[in-house]
Amino acid sequence: MKKLSLGLCLAATVAGGIATTSAALADTGFPNNLRIVIGSKSTGGDTYQNTAIVAEALAEKLDINVKVDAVGATAAFKTLKRVSNGSTIMMFHDQSYLGYLYGRKGYENPFEEYRIGPTVSINPGSAYLVAQGSPFQGLDELMTACADGTDIRVAIQPGGVSEIGYSAMKNAIRIEHPGKEGCLVAVNRGSQSDKNQAMFDGLADLIHGSVQANEQYTRLPADDQKAMRFVWLTARNQTIQQANPEGMGQTSREDLLQYVEPNVSVTQDGEKNFTFDKEFFFLFNKDMDPALIEELDQALTEIFAEGEIQETQKTSFFIPNFMPSAEAEAYLKDKMSQYATIIDALHN
Amino acid sequence: MDVLSALDPLFFVLISAGAAIGIVFGAIPGMTATMAIAVCLPLTYALDLNHGLALLLGLYVGGISGGLVPAILLNIPGTPSSITTTFDGYPMCQRGEGERALKIGVVSSLFGGLFSAAVLFLFAPVLSDFAIKFSYVEKFLIIFLALTVIASLSRNLLMGLFSGLIGVWLALIGTYDVSVGGNGDTRLMTEAMEPYLSEGFSLLPVLIGLFGVAAILKEAEQGIRENTEGMRITLEKGARFSLGVFRNQGVNLVRSGVIGTFIGMLPGVGGSAASVLSYTQQKNFSKAPEKMGTGVPEGVVASESANNGLTGGALVPLLSLGIPGDSTTAVMIGAFTLQGVQVGPLFIGENLETWNTMMVALVFANLVMFAIMFFAIKYVARVVMVPKYLLYPIIMIMCVVGAYAINYGVMFDVWTLLLFGLGGYLAGKVGIEIAPLVIGFILGGQAEVYFVKSLESFGTYTIFFTKSPIAMVLWGLIVLSIAFSVYNLVKASRRKTQEGGA
Repeated sequence: MKKLSLGLCLAATVAGGIATTSAALADTGFPNNLRIVIGSKSTGGDTYQNTAIVAEALAEKLDINVKVDAVGATAAFKTLKRVSNGSTIMMFHDQSYLGYLYGRKGYENPFEEYRIGPTVSINPGSAYLVAQGSPFQGLDELMTACADGTDIRVAIQPGGVSEIGYSAMKNAIRIEHPGKEGCLVAVNRGSQSDKNQAMFDGLADLIHGSVQANEQYTRLPADDQKAMRFVWLTARNQTIQQANPEGMGQTSREDLLQYVEPNVSVTQDGEKNFTFDKEFFFLFNKDMDPALIEELDQALTEIFAEGEIQETQKTSFFIPNFMPSAEAEAYLKDKMSQYATIIDALHN
Repeated sequence: MDVLSALDPLFFVLISAGAAIGIVFGAIPGMTATMAIAVCLPLTYALDLNHGLALLLGLYVGGISGGLVPAILLNIPGTPSSITTTFDGYPMCQRGEGERALKIGVVSSLFGGLFSAAVLFLFAPVLSDFAIKFSYVEKFLIIFLALTVIASLSRNLLMGLFSGLIGVWLALIGTYDVSVGGNGDTRLMTEAMEPYLSEGFSLLPVLIGLFGVAAILKEAEQGIRENTEGMRITLEKGARFSLGVFRNQGVNLVRSGVIGTFIGMLPGVGGSAASVLSYTQQKNFSKAPEKMGTGVPEGVVASESANNGLTGGALVPLLSLGIPGDSTTAVMIGAFTLQGVQVGPLFIGENLETWNTMMVALVFANLVMFAIMFFAIKYVARVVMVPKYLLYPIIMIMCVVGAYAINYGVMFDVWTLLLFGLGGYLAGKVGIEIAPLVIGFILGGQAEVYFVKSLESFGTYTIFFTKSPIAMVLWGLIVLSIAFSVYNLVKASRRKTQEGGA
């Protein structure tokens, strides 16, 4: 029933901007109606799903109304810059800084322009796939083909999460077969549908997808034009190991582990393997009261200590990954600098 | 048996409530089916998947259908896909046939909705295999075919084409978004305009501005007296509704239902193209094409049958590819992900119970939509009896609130509404035609993306002619559509000359 009233409150608030009637709390610095804007316009995507889980837990813990608005990255950053009183905060993922590293419009260095908040979870599903009938059995064969001078076309959405794996492959070819990285060619596409279509049309040898969106395609009969195979999951090995044993759909955790490092290797610098976990974290206005950030850290610490949210996250194929603000900021800064090195190496 | 156990009273209550709320959202200018589903999505947290989907499908069908009410009564498309409903619905209403037009629209909507539900149920997997044969080239040609309506809608061919081009140009303002595979750069603006226009002009504020606000300004120019008994539209002045009106509309109904369903199942092509395309085809095949746009039932039938045909069509790629067919089903996918249910090519086979309950929900939602709208119409239609000096301020407020709400509170959308309202009012003065401009605006963005991406993918212009047999068939339809339009225009002008001579 509590869930239902939360939903009703959310619905009423979104519909009319009407303040909902839940009891105001005495001991929180947050306003009675907290708005979380997300960097995605989709309410069907992982950012919304992940944020909805966290918002529900926060609403219960802080006894306030929490509303998730899928406004998209540009609008979310603009709103965050404007509102410093803590009534609006943002949830996004690595795209926040990858957009900046790739020079996309509307993105600035989040570590300079905003305050980085706690991380909450990982979507471990970022994947690369080939057509079921592809002559290439694995990623190593695709990269070897590049080294031999064959153009390999990779369908990605440029400028962020979808491109970083492509950049990593290109960088690995640059390190192992200098001068051959030009044979890995990006085919710029938009949505997952467009990337799939590029494969159906024979315009891409490899596409970026996800375990969630493409798993069923990997179980189609081989003679189906739509059938695909995973060749690489960019997540860390230990991230996938934390997933529920049943994995996603009919593909178990054990199956998924075949496609992560060290079983699939894409070198980052000649020594260690490249990995990419899509991590969700809060962002705050730079001038937001530090006491509020501390309060949110504390609330999430308690929520994760209770353990219930982890179950919900895992059921939705998210890997729990709570880090308080300070720790999250240092961790993500280091992560960004590693990817900056890869992107710079390819552009300089 | 499992399906029957899912069909409890709450299931039907949720569909009915969803349909009713959806109709209200669809009927308020600036609110859409997409918004209705986004607003109610959090409610599904508390429901199981079948009940959640029942609510969302009710909202979807209601939201798409509700758009015809303001389109017919106020000349404001409640949803983008009801734009062509205004072309004949509003003139009918002006003649005192508002109730009749609404009932024709509702019956056509019911037919389109049930037809597409049947197609979805019987052919979803086969159709999804057919849908993936449509790459950027074929999608561009479909948009091009829909754009040919500009020729047949124009009062003056040259001015109509010019207006259509202005619409396309306006659609290109903004960012060539990476979400459609673009480079993320802004076009057609100075740096100072970027904070406002980086996302371009939002569709609904533009539509409401051009149709609603512009009309209000025009009326304001003529002046509205307080004591204006004669200015009210009487309800039953014109012909009354009878099912006989559909006697010669069988082909129109089915063709429009097919077009709606088919366009719905092509991801990215979108709802507006469906009603525009079916309206074009009806005009081409009509025995009296010159009458379309002046308030004839066949125009309302074509538009409404097609836009409700979308509902089943857009669910085809969602349930058999895991890819939403339009923006509304894109929101609906959230219900599946929030419940941890994967949608993809194996969804139907692995979730037969959910699939069957969805089909029941879709059919029931259409029936509820029909029941609510058909019998409430005589009351709803009375809105035209409200004196304009009271009605117009209310419409203005609704338009402004709707425009502000459409993107979760962007003030520039309100300025867009007013800017296009003023622009639409002034455009009429210099002979620019609003309907072709709007069609150009709605379809321009997609036309650009599919055109550029086709060239990027294949590197040659000849691919538009040689890509596939489907492309060749589409070229045939495009040529036919243009030829029909020109023929009809020539015929109309000859008749005018003869009448002038006589």
